[in-house]
Amino acid sequence: MSRSMNRSMNKLWLIIRREYLTNVRKPSFLFTAFGTPLILISIVVLVIIISLSSETNIEELAGVGYVDQAGVITPEARSEEYPDLFSPYASEEEARAALDSGTIDAYYVIPENYLATSQVQLYSNESMPSDLEDVFDEFLVSSFLSQITAEVPSTRVLEPVEATLHIESTGRELTEAGITGIILLPLLLAVVFMIGIQLTSGLVMSGLTEEKTNRLIEVLVTTVTPMQLLAGKLIGLGLLGLTQIGAWLVLLALVAVFGPSIPFLEGVVIPLDLIIFSAIYFILGYFMVASLMAAIGVLVGSEMESRQYAGVMSIVLAIPIYLTAAFLSDANGTVPTLLSMFPFTAPMSMIMRLGFVNVPAWQLALSIGILLLTALFFLWASARIFRWGLLLYGKRFNLREIIAVLRGNPDQVSQPETRSLKKEAA
Amino acid sequence: MGTNTAVVVNHVSKSYGSFRAVDDVNFEVYRGQIFAMLGPNGAGKSTTIRMILDIMKPDTGTISVLGGPLTASNKDRIGYLPEERGLYRNVKVIEMLTYLGTLKGLSNKEAQRRAMALLEELELGTRAKSKVSELSKGNQQKVQFAATLLHEPDLLILDEPTSGLDPVNTLVIKDLIMRMRDRGTAVVMSTHQMWQVEEMADRLVMINKGQQALYGTVDEVRHKYALHAVIVEGEGDWARLPGVVRVEPNRNNRGGDLLYLEDRVTPNDLLAAIASSPHASIERFELAVPSLNDIFIRVAGDEVPEEFLKSTQEREAVAYE
Repeated sequence: MSRSMNRSMNKLWLIIRREYLTNVRKPSFLFTAFGTPLILISIVVLVIIISLSSETNIEELAGVGYVDQAGVITPEARSEEYPDLFSPYASEEEARAALDSGTIDAYYVIPENYLATSQVQLYSNESMPSDLEDVFDEFLVSSFLSQITAEVPSTRVLEPVEATLHIESTGRELTEAGITGIILLPLLLAVVFMIGIQLTSGLVMSGLTEEKTNRLIEVLVTTVTPMQLLAGKLIGLGLLGLTQIGAWLVLLALVAVFGPSIPFLEGVVIPLDLIIFSAIYFILGYFMVASLMAAIGVLVGSEMESRQYAGVMSIVLAIPIYLTAAFLSDANGTVPTLLSMFPFTAPMSMIMRLGFVNVPAWQLALSIGILLLTALFFLWASARIFRWGLLLYGKRFNLREIIAVLRGNPDQVSQPETRSLKKEAA
Repeated sequence: MGTNTAVVVNHVSKSYGSFRAVDDVNFEVYRGQIFAMLGPNGAGKSTTIRMILDIMKPDTGTISVLGGPLTASNKDRIGYLPEERGLYRNVKVIEMLTYLGTLKGLSNKEAQRRAMALLEELELGTRAKSKVSELSKGNQQKVQFAATLLHEPDLLILDEPTSGLDPVNTLVIKDLIMRMRDRGTAVVMSTHQMWQVEEMADRLVMINKGQQALYGTVDEVRHKYALHAVIVEGEGDWARLPGVVRVEPNRNNRGGDLLYLEDRVTPNDLLAAIASSPHASIERFELAVPSLNDIFIRVAGDEVPEEFLKSTQEREAVAYE
């Protein structure tokens, strides 16, 4: 008994190993796994940089407070362009209360040692237009100019402020230079995810289509059980996907270590929670899509037709990437929230939301729950369809037959060869 | 069931919807023998093979393979060559064979060793590291045949093993099949090539429209279809010989006249009558035993073009052409 268990585990392992090794060596895999995300991400970053620089809107801010602990701001201080933008607060507590009540959208704290260091802190609940610092510079300079004395070094007039942004809603901290980083990381993860799921589930499908087209499937199912074949493929190619994700995470870890010396990436932090949720979403997303693709692969049996299904799937998977702008402007808004609940867009959407904002715990739980149930359903359905579909040749399957198979009555469905015979006989 | 029996198909039926694909088929396959499955296209051969391989379940009846219902470990003792063939295209020949060999329970090393030996024998030794897609169609077929034999199965199921092969490669494959039989393997072989059955097979079953039309040893089947008649070549007035009911003159390639005998008269009686007759001399005298090809056409008559089947008499004549 245990020997036959060993034997069947051994067969499963052989299939896993073959699927992994033959595919990991393909140049097309290496290019798609690593080249495509780089190209895609460069395009997206370019688009973001262009759109961010054009959409800065200081006018839309309710107001910006400041707490002047250094005593450098005189009543004469004013901004030419936005005379009413800045308002003073006696303490950080008061400013914080005003921020929470919505009277202001952000506040600066100018610490006592400001004149020596130029460091100030900017507190807000969201990212601030990059122009704001220029406006605040101007505001301070106007104050300095009104009281120019020997105590104010001329360098402070030329370069008055370097701010560190504290995003209170997520607790992440960034210097100005790292702002690109916080957008980049979740987006990169989302793109790598999308490519990873698409690529590996595509390999599940094309592998099965090949085996079906060349009838190797008949030899395989008389050697292993259909379930060993399905599981071996799903696991082998899932490991391939994890390898790809893993390689990216190593790359990101290197960035985290060496990032501070790269100006563009300075200040990027890779949060552990994001990585853990990445793994959960990738695995669930992969099993859902891959088992669906396995069922399609086994039903269609022609490479050209199966590519069409893969094409539709990749469009659906990429929806969150197309809507990156919606995630950037308000990651807790209706569209990103809905997308993170719909199982096919959930992995990519949730990774971006988790990177940008604090996602309510119940939404995270609901999203994972829906994804898990969908993945389990597709696994079950795929296993059902698999055995029936393996030997179905040369005909189009229809929904009625698939439902009959899912309900466990595959025998009521006729096979193609005999069906044409029946017609002849009649 | 005896220890010599490899497969028992016991009154098996299978329907798809209302269509009866296999109807009460019943036969046994023995070790160390080649068992031929005959029948026109779509007769139910492939369905029967798939049920033996447990790809499909019969509606009624039972199938025993290598001593009982097919178990996972017994699957490793079977080699199966499907009718329509193919292999992974972008994989090296040796990797392909090794993978299939290990799935059948060989160690990696052993699978590789046997694969190389078989490739040498099939004169494909130099192509071991080529990709499958680089081989000719005939060579791909030989590689697939090697994959079927690699693990030296106890039961070999071959669907049209030599179709599409040139005569030289057909001989190579034929020799390998015979060698497997000689080492005790039970071989089930479906084929349309009757000469192959007469040359190679020990026993046969013929399935037509899902039903078992013929079953037995090749000789049994042929004699069952023997007419109560003899073919005679020579000089004489055959119609006047005692016991001859009717004479059908020599036609086409039969090479003799067909003499139908009275029920009580045996061919021996007729031979004696000819010998004692001063007016007759013979160059050839043989029983009217049809070839398997003739029997095949007679049993699967509906599949034969109509012009051959105008009357029963002509149908019999067809059997001797």
